[in-house]
Amino acid sequence: MSWPGFSFPFGAWFFLTLIPLVVLYFLKLKRPRVEISSLALWQSVVNDQRVNSPFQKFRRNLLLLLQLILLMLVILALMQPFISAGPETVEYLPVLIDCSASMSSKVNDADETRLDLAVEQVKGMIDNLRGNGKIALFTFSSGGRRLTEFSDDSQLLLRALQKVEPTDRASKLDEVLRMAEAYSRTASVEKVVVITDGNLNDQVDFELPFKLDIQRVPTGGNNLGITEMTARRSGPESWDVFVRVSGSATETAYADLRLLKNGETIGKEAIEASVEDSERVVFSVESKEAALLQATLTAKDFDSLQIDNSVWLNLPNTRPLKVYAAEKLYSWQHALSVQTETELDTAAEPSLPEYDLIITDVEDLKGSTAPIVVYNGLVPKELQDLISVAAVTENDTPVQIMDWLQTAPLLRHVQLRDVQIAEKAKYINDADSQALEERGYEVLIHGAEGPLMLQRRRGLQTEYYFLFHTDRSTLPYRVAFPILVSNVTEFALQQASLSEVAATATGVLPAISVAPNREYQVKGPLAGTYNVTSTPSGILVGVQAETVGKYDIFDGEELVASVGTGLLSSLETSLRPVDEIQFSEVRVATDEVKVIDSDRHIWWSLAFLAFIFLLFEWWYFQRAKGGLAA
Amino acid sequence: MTSETSSQLTSLFSNSTLNRIERMRLNPLRRLTNRSRGEHLSGKGGSSTDFADYRDYAAGDDMRYVDWNIFARLRRPYIKQYLHEEELHVVILVDASSSMLFEDKLQRAKQLAAAFGIMGLMNVERVSAYAMHQKKDEPWMLPPGSGRQRIRNLLQFLEGVNGGGDVPIEKAIETMLRFHRGRGIAILLSDFLTFSDLSRSMNLLFSAGLEVWGMQILSESERNPSLEGDLRFVDSETGETLDITNAGELLSLYQDHRRWQEQTLNQQCRGRSGRFASVSSALTLESTLFDVLCRQGWVLR
Repeated sequence: MSWPGFSFPFGAWFFLTLIPLVVLYFLKLKRPRVEISSLALWQSVVNDQRVNSPFQKFRRNLLLLLQLILLMLVILALMQPFISAGPETVEYLPVLIDCSASMSSKVNDADETRLDLAVEQVKGMIDNLRGNGKIALFTFSSGGRRLTEFSDDSQLLLRALQKVEPTDRASKLDEVLRMAEAYSRTASVEKVVVITDGNLNDQVDFELPFKLDIQRVPTGGNNLGITEMTARRSGPESWDVFVRVSGSATETAYADLRLLKNGETIGKEAIEASVEDSERVVFSVESKEAALLQATLTAKDFDSLQIDNSVWLNLPNTRPLKVYAAEKLYSWQHALSVQTETELDTAAEPSLPEYDLIITDVEDLKGSTAPIVVYNGLVPKELQDLISVAAVTENDTPVQIMDWLQTAPLLRHVQLRDVQIAEKAKYINDADSQALEERGYEVLIHGAEGPLMLQRRRGLQTEYYFLFHTDRSTLPYRVAFPILVSNVTEFALQQASLSEVAATATGVLPAISVAPNREYQVKGPLAGTYNVTSTPSGILVGVQAETVGKYDIFDGEELVASVGTGLLSSLETSLRPVDEIQFSEVRVATDEVKVIDSDRHIWWSLAFLAFIFLLFEWWYFQRAKGGLAA
Repeated sequence: MTSETSSQLTSLFSNSTLNRIERMRLNPLRRLTNRSRGEHLSGKGGSSTDFADYRDYAAGDDMRYVDWNIFARLRRPYIKQYLHEEELHVVILVDASSSMLFEDKLQRAKQLAAAFGIMGLMNVERVSAYAMHQKKDEPWMLPPGSGRQRIRNLLQFLEGVNGGGDVPIEKAIETMLRFHRGRGIAILLSDFLTFSDLSRSMNLLFSAGLEVWGMQILSESERNPSLEGDLRFVDSETGETLDITNAGELLSLYQDHRRWQEQTLNQQCRGRSGRFASVSSALTLESTLFDVLCRQGWVLR
C-alpha cells in the first residue's frame, strides 16, 4: 500500500486551527437554563439513557466531532493529497509531444484524435506537478520545436499546450532528442518523456544521455492513404502516373481512388488494400502542357486519417531535351545524336538563352544557361592557382585514374580503369582535394597527381569540369563513353523533369525558377498568404509547405506556379506503432501499458466528503434543534 | 374586591362548590377508626342499633346482649353483637415544597385538601392538616379537631400555606407522625417528585393506623413536557443542575419513567390499604372532585 503524498505539505500548519475551534466550541456552548420543579424524574431518565446508550458521551459532543472532522477534511484537501503513480520524482522533465500526421488520426467516432489523448496525458502531468518539479514542453514531427522552458507555472504550460496542433509531417525523433539534449545542459535532466502514438522509425541514430520514457497513447481505427505518387514519361505527350495506396488494417479495406487533372476527373479506380498488401494503380495521362494532377482517396469505411487521402503532382511540359554541344565536340555530338527525345544544337555559339544541357569546351556560354553544364578540357578560373594542366610529354609518367565517385549520377556504371589521357592535371602550391572543397568543388575522378573531373553546384545548376579534353583521351573509344553520355542526358531529363516526376511531400516546396530578386506571394491551403523573395539566380527556395494541399504562387495578381504537396509517408499512413526503438546503444520499449503514468489527485474526494459531513452536520443540528416537539 | 368575592367563605373555591362538597363524604377502604365515638361504624361489637353478628357467650359477657329468643330455641346462650360507631381520623398532608409552586399545583393541592377536610368535618371526623416543606417561620400544622366549626380554621390554615420549603417529604411525614395520634386516612397531596424512596414513609403511616391515599398533582408541563435542544435544568428546590443533550429525544423515555413512577406509587398505596390517583393541575377542581375522584371511589356523594 502506498501512502498518499501531499503537493502542499505546509498546509498541515492549518491543523493548528483545530485548537481555536475546540476552544470556541466550548466557549460558545452555553445551554439555556430551564428551571423545573424537580430533577428527580429527569435524573433517572438521563441515568437510564446513559446505561442504554454507551456512546452518550460521544453523542453529547457529536457536533464538535463533526466540525473537527469537517475542518480536518478541508485542511487535508488544502494540502492537495495525491496517490503517486510511481516512486520516481524528477525535478526537470522535458516532455516531447508527437505532432506528426498520424497523431491527427481519429481514435473513435467522436472525432477524438491521438493528439487530443496525448494533450490530456500531458495535462495530467502538469496537474500533477509538485515540489520542485519543472516541465519543458517540446513538440516534434519531422523536426523539433520547444514550446516552453522548464517551468512549474501550470498556467503557462497549459497555455502552451493549447497551441499544440498536429502537423502534416512524418515523425522523426532524433532531431527533437538532440534539441532536448542540448537543452538538458541547462538543467539536470534524468528522464525525458515522449508522448507519442508509437508511429516512429524503429531505429534512431542517437546516443541517449538520459533515460527515455516513451508513453504511447491508444491507437485508433483503420486507415487508408496514398503513400506514393510518381509519373514517368511514356511517350512524347503521355505519362504513366503511379499511385500507391496503403492500409493500416490486416483486413482488406476498400476505397475509391480518383485522379484529377487541373481539377477535372480523368480516372477512377476501386482500391483494395491492407497493411500487408498495398495497391499500386497506374493511370495513363495524355498531357502536352504542364498540368497539376491530384489523386484523391475516398474510403468506404471508417478512415481515421484524412490528410493522407490527397496528393498533388506537377506534370511538366512534354518537350524534347534541349542540348547544346560545342561545335568541335564531335564525339559528344555523335553520342548525343542517338539519344531519343533530344534536340541537339551544335552551332558555333549557343543560340538559346536556356538549354537543358550544355556541353562545351569554352568557358563563355554567351549568356545561355542550363541546369547541367559539362565543361570539357577547362580548369575553372578560381582554381587555376591550385591546379595546372599540361600535355603529357614523353618523359612524363602516364596519367593514371586512381579512383572515381561511382555513385555520382554521371559516373554510374562508367568504367574508367583503362582510359588513357594525354593531358595531366596536377595539384600546385601544395593544394589538395580539401582545398578544392573549400572553394565549392568536389572531385569526382582522382588522378595520381591531381583531379581529373570536378563538380560544382550553383543553386539549381550543376557544373561538371573535365580537366582534360576528352578528345585527348581514349574515353570516346571506350564503352564507358556512351554510358557517360546516357547518364548525362538522363540526369538532364530528370533535372528538367522531362522523364520522371514525383509528388512533393510536405515540408518545403521544391525550388521553382522565377525572376530573380522578386517578391512573390504564396497562398497555401490554409487561410492567408505570405511573401517569399526569389534568389539572385531566380529561384524560389525554402517555401514552407507544412500542410497538405495546393500552393499557388502569385506575382501580384498573376499566377506564376501551382504546386501541391502530400503526406506521402508509408510510416504515417500505416499507423503502426513500434514496440521497441533501437538507439545507438540501447533499445527502448514503447509500452502502451505505461500510458496512465500520472499521479491521481484526491483533494476533490476529500472536499466532497467534507461537503457530505457539512450536510450531515446541518441536518443533525436542525434535528437536534427541532427535536420531537413537532 | 367585589361583593360577590367578599361573600365567599374561602378563596379556595366558590360557595356553590362548597355546598356540593358538604354533601359528600370520604370513602375509606378499611374501617380504621378511633375508639372514640364517631359516625363511622366499627366492625367490632358496639352499642349502636345496627345488628352486626352473633357469637358464643363467654364468661363475663354482659347478660343484656344475650339473645333470649335464640336461647329459647337452641338452649344455648349467644351474644348479639351490634356495630360500633367510631370516629375516623383524617390526616391531610399538603406538599408545600418549591416544586409545588409550578403551575398552580400548590393551589390545586390546597383546594383538594380543603375539600377532603370539609368532607371529614361535615361527617364528624377528626381532621388534622399538615403543610409539608413549609418554611420554618410559617404555621405548618392544623391540630386535629372535629365539628363544623373547624371548617373555618381549616380553610384559614390552608389559605395561609404559601409553599417554598425545601424539607424532603419523607422527613416531613416523620415529623408529622410525632404529633399524630389516631387511626384513619392519611391523604398525601404532592407531586411526589423526590429522589428518595417513599416506601418507608408509607410504612410508617400504615403502621400508625392510617390508610395511605396518595394524590399526585402534576402540572401539564410535567405530564407532557415540550422541550428541545440542549438544555441545563435547574432544580427549583435544591438549585442543582442537570445538562440535557437533545431533550427532544428523551421525552419518550421521560414518559416511560413518569408512568413507571405512577405505577410504583399506585402499588405502594394499594399495598397499604390505600388509593392512588394522578391528576393534572390543569384540570378544574370541579372535574377533579366531582368526576375523577367520584369515579375512582375516593368520595361518595
